[in-house]
Amino acid sequence: MSENQWDNPGSSTGQQFVLSIMSKDHVGIIHQVSKAISSLDGNIADVRQSVLSGYFTMILVASFPAGVTRRAVERKLAEADANSETAIEVMVCEADEDALAALAPDPKNSYVLTATGADKVGIVARVSQFCVLHNINILDLSTTVSDGDYVMIMVIDLAQYDPTRRADVSLVRQDLKTFSQESGLKVVLQHYDIFRAVNEINPPVLR
Amino acid sequence: MLPSDEILTTVEMIQKENLDVRAVTLGISLLDCHQADVALTCLAIKAKIRRHAGALVSTCETISAEFAIPVVNKRIAVTPIAMVGAGFDADGFVQIAHALDEIASEVGVDFLGGFSADVSNGMTEGDRQLIAAIPQALAETSKVCASINVGSTRYGINMDAVVLMGQTVKALAERSADTGGFAAAKFVVFTNQPGDNPFMAGAIHGVGQPEVVINVGVSGPGVIASALKRKIAQAGEQQLGLQDLAEEIKRTAFRVTRCGELIGRQVARKLGVPFGVVDLSLAPTPKMGDSVGEILQILGVDAIGAPGSTAIVALLNDAVKKGGTFASQSVGGLSGAFIPVCEDQALADAVRDDSLVLEKLEAMTSVCSVGLDMIAIPGSVDAGTISAIIADEMAIGMINGKTTAVRLIPVPGKEAGEFVSFGGLFGESAIAPVRNTGKSARFIAFGGKIPAPIHSLKN
Repeated sequence: MSENQWDNPGSSTGQQFVLSIMSKDHVGIIHQVSKAISSLDGNIADVRQSVLSGYFTMILVASFPAGVTRRAVERKLAEADANSETAIEVMVCEADEDALAALAPDPKNSYVLTATGADKVGIVARVSQFCVLHNINILDLSTTVSDGDYVMIMVIDLAQYDPTRRADVSLVRQDLKTFSQESGLKVVLQHYDIFRAVNEINPPVLR
Repeated sequence: MLPSDEILTTVEMIQKENLDVRAVTLGISLLDCHQADVALTCLAIKAKIRRHAGALVSTCETISAEFAIPVVNKRIAVTPIAMVGAGFDADGFVQIAHALDEIASEVGVDFLGGFSADVSNGMTEGDRQLIAAIPQALAETSKVCASINVGSTRYGINMDAVVLMGQTVKALAERSADTGGFAAAKFVVFTNQPGDNPFMAGAIHGVGQPEVVINVGVSGPGVIASALKRKIAQAGEQQLGLQDLAEEIKRTAFRVTRCGELIGRQVARKLGVPFGVVDLSLAPTPKMGDSVGEILQILGVDAIGAPGSTAIVALLNDAVKKGGTFASQSVGGLSGAFIPVCEDQALADAVRDDSLVLEKLEAMTSVCSVGLDMIAIPGSVDAGTISAIIADEMAIGMINGKTTAVRLIPVPGKEAGEFVSFGGLFGESAIAPVRNTGKSARFIAFGGKIPAPIHSLKN
């Protein structure tokens, strides 16, 4: 998802911003936002977009020529908001170089954690608390309802679980077993490669 | 992230539907182990197996824990021992069997296969001595499995060997009468035996294989049964044709195979051993919900063995292969659906209820792997009749260019309708009646060989 191979050669000397966009979903949001960015000679480096329950959300990283300030980007996007039939809420922040340079997590440590239980307040909070306590980074999260139960599906990175013993997934499983007994949630941890192997045409790379 | 329904289906497969890797089998060549005498040969065999297989079980367990996919059996297959021990007498072969049993226990594997010979086009003196040693060797050891290849599409069927096989099966059962003739469950007679099959009792490390190799046998009847039930519940029986169900089997076989290959390749890599093949066989266990027979019932026969059963097995077997071959880089071994009666609860029940008989099983084996497998028959059935049953099954394999095998257990002192239990993965079953016993004696007495079949004019 890199567009800067095509245009905006000056981006390397410019400024990178992270933009978060939310709006009630309708036709034309992406056009309005991207038009505003390109009018400032901004170049979209990466973007993720999703629609949930009729609401549109998008996060993107864009680079702008030197001299384009955060305020300028906000003003331009405010124009997009003004021209839109529904409000487009925008948040702009300057990108942190360290965060941008961070490497993608090693797929070797990627696992899928599913937590299933009766639908009630606080499941996500409890499971994420477990992750915080054990230094487990959540890479991706979605929830769904299956057979009347609330299911939380997470892709997690176990690289920092316990740097001294990280190869030993059985320790995570032990902790999860205790957590499962305490919380009453049914918890399953499987390596992400299993899911890729059985669902995708391309088999996962051996590592 | 993958769609949540795919993630949940996968979790379900592993948690509820018995998705596992049935066997990781390390093939080891013992061709360089023949020494001047039996004792030195035994030492060389043990040293070589210890060197290559010492870490097999722990590696399987590590990978299994990391991926949370059970590896049910860890096994070793060796070069057919008739080649390794050629020149020794039957006593010498028995000693080799003991050495194999000891080293199998030492490295912690469940079984070791390869107490074997290929006599499809004739018998060497070594082959003859090994065959003579089989009853004592298997009765006195616990982990060693034996197999003899008596026929092939290229050479025909060695009927002199088939005669010996009937006698061997009887001798094995009688020597292990206290365990219901269990020693016979560790012995299988083949036509077109593959050299890379990871499943027991017929695993060998055949000629033409590498020095060492990891082969994997997948499982998955439970997963396929659940997928079919889900499909039928979602779409409704009225809306589905058999092609839709075949498609569902194919897709599920893809998933099962991928999982087996992933685990197998990880084990091979960790051991520093080349990966050989995935064997796409649907291998049932006596566990509830892990049955090939149940798939037949889901696909529409109320009693297994009823008309239609053979057609269903054909559909199942073919769909499994289609899904599996696409999933895997290298497929081999037996690759099909097994119908081992004792090891499959639904099949064992059908034999008990008399809906599934030996003749129908024989018909079913003509369209699936691997043959008349784990069938308990009355201990009174004579060796000649067992040889004749073997000859029939071998003929199916020879003519159709496929692997067929026979693993019969003539349970000493028991008659048709009585029960026998072998425990664990070997299961239990009612004893199946054998009709027309003693009526094939003149045919068997001819001996000699059945010539190789013609390879054109196929009808």
